[in-house]
Amino acid sequence: MPLTGLWYPRSSRPLFLPLFSGKVAAGFPSPADDYIEKTLDLNELLVKKPAATFFARAQGESMLGAGIHPNDILVIDRSIEPVPGKIVICALNGELVVKRLKRLENQWILASENQYYPDIRLHDELEMVIWGVVTNVIHAV
Amino acid sequence: MLPLLALVDCNNFYVSCERMFRPDLIGKPVAVLSNNDGCIVARSQEVKDLGIKMGVPVFQVQNLIRRHKIQLFSSNYTLYADMSARVMSILEEFTPSLEVYSIDESFLDLTGICSHDPIVYGQRIRKTVYRSTGIPVCVGMGPTKTLAKLANFAAKKWKQSGGVLDLSDPGRREKLMRIVPVGEVWGIGSRTAARLNQLGIVTVWDLASQPVDRIRDQFNVVVARTVMELNGISCLELEEIAPDKKQIVCSRSFSRRLTEYRELAEALAEFCSRAAEKLRYQSSIAGHISVFIRTNPFNPNEPQYQRAAGITLPSATQDTRVIVGAANRLLKELFREGYRYQKCGVQLGQIQPTSLPDQMDLFNLVAFGQAGSEKLMQAVDRINRRFPKGIAVAAAGFDKTWKAKAERISKRYKGLITKRKKSYAKVLKVQKGHRALL
Repeated sequence: MPLTGLWYPRSSRPLFLPLFSGKVAAGFPSPADDYIEKTLDLNELLVKKPAATFFARAQGESMLGAGIHPNDILVIDRSIEPVPGKIVICALNGELVVKRLKRLENQWILASENQYYPDIRLHDELEMVIWGVVTNVIHAV
Repeated sequence: MLPLLALVDCNNFYVSCERMFRPDLIGKPVAVLSNNDGCIVARSQEVKDLGIKMGVPVFQVQNLIRRHKIQLFSSNYTLYADMSARVMSILEEFTPSLEVYSIDESFLDLTGICSHDPIVYGQRIRKTVYRSTGIPVCVGMGPTKTLAKLANFAAKKWKQSGGVLDLSDPGRREKLMRIVPVGEVWGIGSRTAARLNQLGIVTVWDLASQPVDRIRDQFNVVVARTVMELNGISCLELEEIAPDKKQIVCSRSFSRRLTEYRELAEALAEFCSRAAEKLRYQSSIAGHISVFIRTNPFNPNEPQYQRAAGITLPSATQDTRVIVGAANRLLKELFREGYRYQKCGVQLGQIQPTSLPDQMDLFNLVAFGQAGSEKLMQAVDRINRRFPKGIAVAAAGFDKTWKAKAERISKRYKGLITKRKKSYAKVLKVQKGHRALL
């Protein structure tokens, strides 16, 4: 699925919010749980390498199976090694697209995660550049 | 232990920034335009090879642009500032001592860090920067800043170097100096070069071989220091400019709550005037402006709204009009109807002294457009001192005067969501060469 809009993380003072130590299921945390075990700053959680991290908004539905919906924000880290299995951003035809990188019998494949969208097999005439690796998806509900 | 300094600089920086999001343009002719899309201020190697000079007006080269399909971009300072910050923060990891020299160049002190194999270290720097940011850089190394700069020039010019060159070895130094014209040395301008040429000093080696005293007498101490530096004697120290924590803030709580945009804008304009006055008083310029507005946090019965926004200026300024204009733009982003605002303010950051030799950018037409602003501001200050009620800055309408034409700005940073065609069948052949760097 193509990307629209690319942003860079804005450096700001960390915002520490309390993190519940028990996993919150659809009910309520038990009163017996320790309510605050530690604090969490989203920047720390999502942006490991600020210099190499970018945000982008996804468009299209070819990666629904991976939990990426249209308008979700992707956290992209360029410093991570792109290996098979990772969801990567790659440059094809002058635009940046999101695919899962796969390798099958010596062939590189850019796979969609939606039965209605085809995989792209890489061959000699077709060259693409891997732009970065997606580490997190932020999905508004 | 022999000192080892490195000069790392980005190749065709503005162009490289634009290519970062368009890897299909690697190897293709790309140019970046000035404010108002008037002149070419950055060229890719392919554009340089076509003989197009720096600063040439676009209309003069329209034919070449059409014939060679030169891709043009409006200058996007937000992008360049961000990418520069990224590159510098990566370089920081390679050295205990970093001097950011300009938006795309830094000196690194590598003394004692990689004496076993500086070239390998230099390659690691290149690879890491490219991997994380997509910006290609070259690394020049030597025992002095001047030699590091010379090495960088050579690394860039001669591809066989692989983008990294070390001039610590005197033999290699001499070999290079004998083939480089003296005008390429850092600090030797065209006029000095012409004078040197007249004295028979044509290559860098010729200059380095001169007695220092003779050069000091015939020219000046600066050129004399350059001769010493070329011979491996360090005269220029690394200047670590500590991040300027100084900020100038001007804000006030209101005696009555404000609800209209116009009222906030007027108050903000006044705060900007005062802040700019303080700037001018201390002979500084500011590169960053932020604005905040908020309701009264101590009144729980009222709906709360508290936000701030900031912007980096393409050119640091002390001109009230520029500051008011920027603050207005930020206010437009922040203002929301239906709130009763209790306070607003402006904060000026990235403060530097006016005397610092700023990169004299050809393309800082914002600065040129404000020619005479210094005189104007001085006059304003004089009048304000004599007549305390003084000259008020008209807050309306400034937004329009410095809005530059930027038709070809790289779309992604406009914040607009542009529709892209989903065509996976058509693909473009991308250069093989740069893959080796990934």
